[in-house]
Amino acid sequence: MLLVGKILLGAVGSVVAMGAVISSEGFVNVRVHETKPDGVHVHVIAPVLLMNVGLHFVPRRNLKDAAEQVRPWLPVIDAAVKGLKDSDDLQLVEVSGPDQHVKVATQGGYMVVDVTDPEDEVHVALPLSEIDRAVHEIAAAGPTL
Amino acid sequence: MRKFMQVGAVVSLLATAAFGAPAEKYLHVRVTSGSDKEVVSVNVPLSLAEKVIPAINHGKLNQGKVTIDNADMKDVDVRAILEAVKNSPDGDYVTIQGKDQDVRVAKSKGNLIVHVTDKSGGKEKSGQKVDVIIPMSVVNALVPSDKHEIDLVAAIHALSNSGEKLMVTVHDADDDVKVWVDAESGSTEPSAKE
Repeated sequence: MLLVGKILLGAVGSVVAMGAVISSEGFVNVRVHETKPDGVHVHVIAPVLLMNVGLHFVPRRNLKDAAEQVRPWLPVIDAAVKGLKDSDDLQLVEVSGPDQHVKVATQGGYMVVDVTDPEDEVHVALPLSEIDRAVHEIAAAGPTL
Repeated sequence: MRKFMQVGAVVSLLATAAFGAPAEKYLHVRVTSGSDKEVVSVNVPLSLAEKVIPAINHGKLNQGKVTIDNADMKDVDVRAILEAVKNSPDGDYVTIQGKDQDVRVAKSKGNLIVHVTDKSGGKEKSGQKVDVIIPMSVVNALVPSDKHEIDLVAAIHALSNSGEKLMVTVHDADDDVKVWVDAESGSTEPSAKE
C-alpha cells in the first residue's frame, strides 16, 4: 500500500512538474466568436511552450520570405518589446468605426488584440516575451547571412 | 550612528528617485475621419519612442537622426534662424493674408506657433486649418548644431521634459487630427492649452 502511495505521489508530482514547465512561459489565448445564429465559437488557451515547439515543425522554406522581411527590423522589434515590457499597461491603438472596434493594448505582460465587428468577435492575447522569441525564430529560418 | 546615517542616505536616495523622477509622458494621436466619424487613437509612451527610434536604420533615418540633403535645405541655415527666434521677444514673426491661404508664425510663452488656414475651397467649402504649437526647447533639440540632420530622439527627450501640450491640430471638411502630449496613458480628448 505504501509502495502504491509512493508511485501515485511520484506520478502526480511528475504531472504537476510537467504542467509547471509547460505553463511557465505563459499561455496564448485565442477566442473567436461568430455572432450569427449558427456561428462558430472557438476558444483556445494553449501554453506558449507548445507554440514554440510547433514553430520548429514549420518547414523552413515556408518561413523564408517572412524571415527576409523581418530580419532588418529585429533591433526595432527587440527595442519595442523591451520598451513595452518596461511600460505600464497601455492602450496602444484603438479604432472605433460605426460597425467595427479594434483595440491593441498591453496588459500584465501580454499583448492583447480585440476586434469586434457585426459578424465576429476576436480576442487574442500573447505574452510580450513570446512575440520577441517567435519573431527571432522566424528570422532564423531564413538563409544564413 | 554611522550605520544609521548610511541607511538614512540610502532611504533619501530612494525617495528622491521615487518622487523626483519625472512622470511618464505619452504622445497621443487622434484622427477622426469621414462622415461616419471613424476614430483612430494611438498612444505611445515617450520613453518607448526614445528606445525604438534609435533602433530604426532605414532610409535617411539612422540612430534617431534624419539626414537632410543639401538640396532639400536650399542653403537655408535653419539653425541660425532658430537661434535668432530663440533670442527674440514674443511676437508675430510672419503674417500672410493671401487669397488662398492665411499664415501666421509667432513665438509666445516659449512656444513656436504656426497657424495655416487654407481658403482655396471658397466659403462654401471649408478649407484646411492647421495649428502647430511646439515648445522652443523641442524645436532647438530637433535641429542640432549640424544643420544637415534632424535629431528626433533629442526632440522626444525635450518633449518629455516640457509641459503638457496640444501640439498639432489639423481640421478640414472630412478629417480632424490632434497630436498632443500629456501624462495620461489613455487618449482623453485634450483641452486647448494655448
